Amino acid sequence: MARNKFNVDEELETPFSIAHLKRLLVYVKPYKTKIMITVLIMLAASGANLIGPYLIKQAIDKEIPGKNIEGLAALSGIYLVALTVTGICMKFRIRMMSQIGHSVIKNIRRDLFTHLQKLSFSFFDSRPHGKILVRVVNYVNSLSDLLSNGLINLITDLFSLLVIIGFMFSINAKLTLFAMAGFPILALIIFLIKNAQRKAWQNLSNKQSNLNAYIHESINGIKVTQAFVREEENKKIFHGVSNGYKTSWLKAVRVHFLLWPAIENISVLTVTLIYVLGVGMIGNGITVGALVAFVGYIWMFWTPLANIGNFYNAIINASAYLERIFEMMDEKPEISDRPNAKELPIIKGKVEFDNVVFGYETTTRNLNQISFKANPGESIAIVGPTGAGKTTIVSLLSRFYDIGSGEIRIDDMNIETVTISSLRKQMGVMLQDPFIFSGTIIDNIRYGRLDASDEEVIAAAKAVQAHPFISQLKQGYYTEVNERGSVLSNGQRQLISFARALLADPKILILDEATSSIDTETELALQKGLETLLAGRTSFIIAHRLSTIQNASKILYIDKGMILEEGTHDELIRLRGLYWKLYSSYYSSLRAI
Amino acid sequence: MQSLRWAWGYIRKYKMRMFFGLALVLLVSTLNMANPYLAGRIVDDVIYGNNRSLLWPMLGLMVGCTVIRTIVRYGYQLMFENISQNVIFKMRENLFERLMGLDFSFYDRTKTGDIMARMTGDMEAIRHFTAWTIYMIVENVTIFIFAVTFMFSIHVPLTLAILVVTPIIGFFAFRLSNDVKPTFTEIRNQFAKLNSVVQENISGNRVVKAFAKENYEIEKFSNENETFRARNLQSARIWEKYLPVLDSLAGVLTVVMILTGGIMVINGSLTIGELVMFNSLIWALNNPIRSAGWLINDVQRFIASAEKVEELLLTKSQIINGNHQNVQEKQADIEFDHVYFSYGNGPALEDISFTAKPGQTIAIIGPTGSGKSTLVHLLNRFYDVTEGAIYVGGRNVKEWHLHQLRSSMGMVMQDIFLFSDTIEGNIAYGSPNASIEAVQIAAGQAEAHEFIASLPDGYDTIVGERGVGLSGGQKQRIALARALLKNPKVLILDDTTSSVDMETEERIQKTLNSIQEGKTCFIIAHRISSVKEADLILVLNNGRIIERGTHDQLLMQRGYYYNVFQNQYGNFDIHLMAGM
Ligand SMILES: Nc1ncnc2c1ncn2[C@@H]1O[C@H](COP(=O)(O)OP(=O)(O)OP(=O)(O)O)[C@@H](O)[C@H]1O
Ligand SMILES: Nc1ncnc2c1ncn2[C@@H]1O[C@H](COP(=O)(O)OP(=O)(O)OP(=O)(O)O)[C@@H](O)[C@H]1O
Ligand SMILES: [Mg+2]
Ligand SMILES: [Mg+2]
Repeated sequence: MARNKFNVDEELETPFSIAHLKRLLVYVKPYKTKIMITVLIMLAASGANLIGPYLIKQAIDKEIPGKNIEGLAALSGIYLVALTVTGICMKFRIRMMSQIGHSVIKNIRRDLFTHLQKLSFSFFDSRPHGKILVRVVNYVNSLSDLLSNGLINLITDLFSLLVIIGFMFSINAKLTLFAMAGFPILALIIFLIKNAQRKAWQNLSNKQSNLNAYIHESINGIKVTQAFVREEENKKIFHGVSNGYKTSWLKAVRVHFLLWPAIENISVLTVTLIYVLGVGMIGNGITVGALVAFVGYIWMFWTPLANIGNFYNAIINASAYLERIFEMMDEKPEISDRPNAKELPIIKGKVEFDNVVFGYETTTRNLNQISFKANPGESIAIVGPTGAGKTTIVSLLSRFYDIGSGEIRIDDMNIETVTISSLRKQMGVMLQDPFIFSGTIIDNIRYGRLDASDEEVIAAAKAVQAHPFISQLKQGYYTEVNERGSVLSNGQRQLISFARALLADPKILILDEATSSIDTETELALQKGLETLLAGRTSFIIAHRLSTIQNASKILYIDKGMILEEGTHDELIRLRGLYWKLYSSYYSSLRAI
Repeated sequence: MQSLRWAWGYIRKYKMRMFFGLALVLLVSTLNMANPYLAGRIVDDVIYGNNRSLLWPMLGLMVGCTVIRTIVRYGYQLMFENISQNVIFKMRENLFERLMGLDFSFYDRTKTGDIMARMTGDMEAIRHFTAWTIYMIVENVTIFIFAVTFMFSIHVPLTLAILVVTPIIGFFAFRLSNDVKPTFTEIRNQFAKLNSVVQENISGNRVVKAFAKENYEIEKFSNENETFRARNLQSARIWEKYLPVLDSLAGVLTVVMILTGGIMVINGSLTIGELVMFNSLIWALNNPIRSAGWLINDVQRFIASAEKVEELLLTKSQIINGNHQNVQEKQADIEFDHVYFSYGNGPALEDISFTAKPGQTIAIIGPTGSGKSTLVHLLNRFYDVTEGAIYVGGRNVKEWHLHQLRSSMGMVMQDIFLFSDTIEGNIAYGSPNASIEAVQIAAGQAEAHEFIASLPDGYDTIVGERGVGLSGGQKQRIALARALLKNPKVLILDDTTSSVDMETEERIQKTLNSIQEGKTCFIIAHRISSVKEADLILVLNNGRIIERGTHDQLLMQRGYYYNVFQNQYGNFDIHLMAGM
């Protein structure tokens, strides 16, 4: 799984096919009655629209030469009525079109987001987040043109095309056939530019994604950028990325715009043809008025055709986004419930690792033959050098990753046989990298258990010693924090995510360096309160500050993905092995004093 | 209007090309007249006048005009795209430059999703405007004016009669313009919210999964998603009110034409050929009026977005750059002189004074939230002091050029941020031209070389966003290497070894000691082992220095520091050490 960076185009796993359009139609289907009604109304409108030239022809051919002012007034009256009808239809169409278009977009985006929630860590870890964001937000938005205007226009344009052709036939069949001589040429041109067009838009969507990724990361990493005075360098990089976008945009429109000249030139050629033929036929099967009307129609005939060409262009453009959207929707979650997965019943908290082997990638091995057992209510400390695999062990317990071989059991049930949400709901995890959502502090703690009352939230905050600082804030628990918790110090963020884990009231509590950025005094106070809170819960505690873990029921010393020592503090000290060495080195530095 | 003027500032550079493009638009509009005119002539002269010999030249003209027209049109479309891409490119670059320069407090209060919305959705609206709307407006206006002029040249009274309807059209257009504007502002604001909620869900994906809160997230998202739809529909409500009116009124022109024109023909004051000519020109009045409504929408959408982009561009950094640039040896001298600081709600630091000389190590210890990180952030001028002053190299930090000041400092922030780039790229972040050897040396000093070398891709391993794929301690060491590679005069380590085990930490400290010559070092830590060697230990509590001195002095004081020491080491069984 190679990770993607901002300046590398993502490879497309499932290229666009007609199946994508069918899939898009699935989203449109629920609105088919609405679409039908709108189309009918639009038909009425184009009828009213098409009546115009006919009325004018009547006026010029009959009423005016006949000096019939009343007839003329009547025609004008009909025209006004037709206009009113068109107006009303248009109002209806705008309403329907925006409803359908935006509903479809909403539904696509909802499905995409819902699917995103199912994807595992590895999906999020393997590409810049800006590239995921752009798909959910911007790419889906790019479909709006196609959906809100395109679809209904397409149907009505097809109809008005038919109607116009009908009118033309009724005037003169032979001329009508000649009028359609342009079609095959147009089809040929479209076919010729199609590939170039597709590639250009695909390229553009990639560049847009790269640009987004770079902007996104630049915003998130701005503090580092400023601290390292990298602004100028980044501007240069941005210049390059932004230029890539610009260039591919210009390339894309160069092909995109070719369609209209093609349509117009073909249309004028056909009109010429019709004039030549028509003029020759005057008095010989066609009247002057009929020819004028016919020519009027043939100009009109190319307008819907141009629109259909537009729609075609829009589809080609949108397909570059659609394929990305559907690609993400088709992304298989690496971790998912087995077909016959059961709900994990309320657990007691027994945890067993049985010969667990795990690697983040197929080629690596990060954990080797890990076996240990934790009885309900025990606290297990995991210690060891950095990069040993401590975090990895606890993340397997929540089934963030699936193991290579071996088994992890909770209350004697293999965790792969139970549903993921029933498993995770019974765990409170405090991740090593505390994440704070934007919103109030109280909502952040409540994230652990959404139905917790304010009192429960405050109790959790008190238990982790977060209450004093929160209550010192002007708005207390209702203080708004920004994403990732600016406004709070790091230790304060840790305390809040600690409280969040505790509030979940889990049977299994996982604390990954919960107090690494917290001062010893707070930590001690916290531990005192924690003893009662930990009662009845199985807990896993990872810490580098050994003073934190001496009372654990069991200490696992991990290095290089293996358990090298296991036992209580006293046992391990007596062993005089690695833990003892670690413990001594903790103090040896003070020997001089 | 303000937004238009602002946009003009960018477009002005392409003034000549723009005018040339507009001239082409004019040309095309004129050529647009050709077909209907020729069609009219064909009807009048060829069909009614039975002058067949004129047919071929006229058709030839028609084809010729169309070919030229479409080519010219293709040309100016590309030209306008080009201009608009250049304009957007420049704006984006200015925005980025602004983003690079804005201070921490801006980022503390602004959501990433909000900035993203400005950089993407708003830019798109502006692009649409410069690439499409501007020339559509010009095209429509010119077509309209031409048609009117042409009509006047044919027959003045009929033209006047037709134009009687236009004031009513103007009235509705004005109303539309007024009513639709706020709806676009709301759409784009909601777009920003949608961006934020998705953005945060993605960055918080680990927490979401850990707590199995997917459904809650979906619900939260669906609310914003639904509101986004609703905002769009709300805007469509306004369109549906006015656009049909404009559309029908455009048709009324035709009715007026045929009725009055017909009567005039009957009266004999107009020929039938002239009426036909009017008829073939009337679209040139109809179409611009039909488009007017949509164009007004586009303009208002542009204004709603432009205001936001402009606002960001006008945001000023509160950190005003100084201009002192001399590279000085003394830059490692640091003095805090009665420094007070507040984030805006009560003091975060009060009366901080101390001095640090090159070669010295200053350690800061104290409870969570006592202001340790804040103190070192002032040194780099991420924030400015509220009262008092900080001197670096004997000069107030406010006088230093920011680049010079910050270049001399190497900082490892508490909240480690790594970029999704190779490990080498991350370590060389502050010194992009560093050789791979230099990178490896810095990694070695940070005790990171060994684990990096053991990775399958070594220094070319790409880390994920924020450094996923690395353990907590590994991230910290890479960040440390990144700071060391700069060979800074002042090294600031904010809780840098909290996720590193004792043994590794001890090795790191030894290395740091060996390279400390001439550098000032700030160490923030909670472990006594990390701070005990410092030349000066500051104990911070509630933003004040409550104790200061060396390890030994502080132990003697039997205050806060002593307690911390007791907590960490008090129950140590000294006998264990025997045999070590
Ligand atoms: N998402 C990931 N993809 C690939 N490798 C990973 C990933 N996360 C961690 N690793 C690797 O797995 C090994 C174990 O990492 P882990 O996070 O478990 O260490 P740790 O014991 O928690 O260390 P620390 O004390 O520094 O947090 C490390 O070598 C790390 O580089
Ligand atoms: N950007 C900010 N805006 C407003 N208040 C802030 C901001 N950053 C920190 N604070 C507040 O200022 C105080 C000091 O924060 P600081 O980050 O300096 O603490 P610290 O001593 O580094 O703590 P820790 O040991 O937890 O890292 C805290 O009470 C915190 O809530
Ligand atoms: Mg870890
Ligand atoms: Mg801090």
